[in-house]
Amino acid sequence: MKKVSIIGSGNVGANAAFFIAEMAAAHVTLIDIEEGRAAGKALDMMEAAPIRRYRTKIDGSDNIDAIEGSDIVVITAGLIREPGKDRTEHFQENREILLSMVEPITKLAPACKVIVAPEPVDAMVKIFTEESGFDRKRVMGIGGVLDTTRMAGFIAEELGISARDVNAMVIGSHTKKMVPLPFYSRVSGINITELLDEGAIERVIHNTRQAGNLIVDLAKRANAYYAPASAIAQVVEAIAIDTGKILSVSVTLNGEYGMKGVALSIPCKLGADGVEKIVELKLAEDTWKDFQASAEPIRDLA
Amino acid sequence: MKKVSVIGAGHVGAKTTYYIAEKGIANVVMVDIVEGMPQAKGLDFTHAAPLRNYGVTTVGTNDYKEIAGSDVVVITAGIPRKPGMDRMDLLKINTDIVKTASRNVAEYAPNATIIVVSNPLDIMCMVALDASGFALKRVFGMAGILDSTRFRYFVAEKLDVAVTDVQAMVLGGHGDTMVPLPRFTTVSGIPITELMSPDDIEALTVRTRNGGAEIVKHLKTGSAYYAPAASAAEMVEAVLTNEKRIAPACAYLRGEYGYEAIYLGVPVLIGANGAEKIVELDLDEGEKALLDNSAEAVKKGLADLRSFYTMA
Repeated sequence: MKKVSIIGSGNVGANAAFFIAEMAAAHVTLIDIEEGRAAGKALDMMEAAPIRRYRTKIDGSDNIDAIEGSDIVVITAGLIREPGKDRTEHFQENREILLSMVEPITKLAPACKVIVAPEPVDAMVKIFTEESGFDRKRVMGIGGVLDTTRMAGFIAEELGISARDVNAMVIGSHTKKMVPLPFYSRVSGINITELLDEGAIERVIHNTRQAGNLIVDLAKRANAYYAPASAIAQVVEAIAIDTGKILSVSVTLNGEYGMKGVALSIPCKLGADGVEKIVELKLAEDTWKDFQASAEPIRDLA
Repeated sequence: MKKVSVIGAGHVGAKTTYYIAEKGIANVVMVDIVEGMPQAKGLDFTHAAPLRNYGVTTVGTNDYKEIAGSDVVVITAGIPRKPGMDRMDLLKINTDIVKTASRNVAEYAPNATIIVVSNPLDIMCMVALDASGFALKRVFGMAGILDSTRFRYFVAEKLDVAVTDVQAMVLGGHGDTMVPLPRFTTVSGIPITELMSPDDIEALTVRTRNGGAEIVKHLKTGSAYYAPAASAAEMVEAVLTNEKRIAPACAYLRGEYGYEAIYLGVPVLIGANGAEKIVELDLDEGEKALLDNSAEAVKKGLADLRSFYTMA
């Protein structure tokens, strides 16, 4: 079984570990800078294993050396942007945290695939790819996968049907300028444009764009972590089990969709090597322009 | 705990029972006319329960009374067509079997939803509807999920992608005239028309139409039962848990797609009330022509049925 290390054992990191264990996708090493936090959460999860029936091992450490030999490293460590905090300042803080991990990851797990979660995720993917020197196809960001699962949930809600039959597709940056694609969002193969009227599709798209903010509003002090953690676990599973799953992940573009030097979410076939193939959708002219425009907030930062 | 009964404990019936048990959502009763066989299979399943982690009961019986109170009844009973057997003879034998089963369901489990699996499916659904006297929504058939799971597998194999990412839609009768719809067959939402050449798609649709025959050719003296049973169990689950899935199923049409009073494979919203709603797709001319062809084949089968069977 493969080894995945998760750096950062807050709500996102710890729940990702739990989902990965339940999916029997990989053994998990949780890491956190705060002493005892990762080890305590790992032990708690192992004590639930006899009831929840997973046979994967989970351990925890406050020493980053424990990531040694990982097949996959997930970076969740970062600060949440608090209300009123300046975007650029927040970006700089998370950038510093991310940069501090480049050396240990490249040294201790030189062949690993990296999954990046901290915000702004597309900028973080590009920075990590550049600073690590890793092949761009080994560094993936959780942007589109998260937006996609949210959109699928809203479609199921709008139709009053099981979310199990819904596949959604969201590409572009993980910002309000994300690009939901109704034609590529399907219910048992049927495009939602056949099933929902324009107003309903507008609501789905609006809710998808606002989903992250809505959770912050509802939960007051916390931001979302179940859906982000499940998005991480899904990408980990695709790589660790080598499933060939096609997911919308953020990857640094090199000419695909006519874009270069920026990371954005696009559908990628994932496998043991990370991004094994980038799928180029036939976008309509307007949609392609929206996709290009979605890079603007990221370009401003990087 | 909900209750499901499966009529016919052959390969399809027994495997359906097993898949439902593994889902842990209902106690299951299997009925078969062969003495001892359903009892043995039911007992064997209970022996596997501690290892496979299901806590439901699985009971085999020869007595229809034991289906009393079932929420869902799956009718799998019927004989396969043997070499040299006339199609009409087969139709008569299976009509008789499904009629008997459906009358017993009406008597002992009057509140159940019936899912028909016996072939020829589109005709057997009509027999079950007629013999049970149940409401239209509570009698429907399993074929489209099976045809589409085969199509999904073939697409995944060809493109070397995860089977779970592939969704497929197959309409029409369950037979040579079924209508796989490439426009509504997708990988993570992307239509296969963007991922494969027309020739490859054509080859896979042909393979899907012949999916059952391909298995028979390998087995020689038997037919598929893993995929058919898995498909039936999915439908049972959708009804029991009121899951509201949209899946292709054999449903009674009253004007939808322009057809009256026939059972045909169409996308159906499946929930606690059975085939709750038929989804009408905007088919293009070519697709509609294929569906018309399929509906004609079903109408011909119904004419054959009426030649010896009088409906209530």
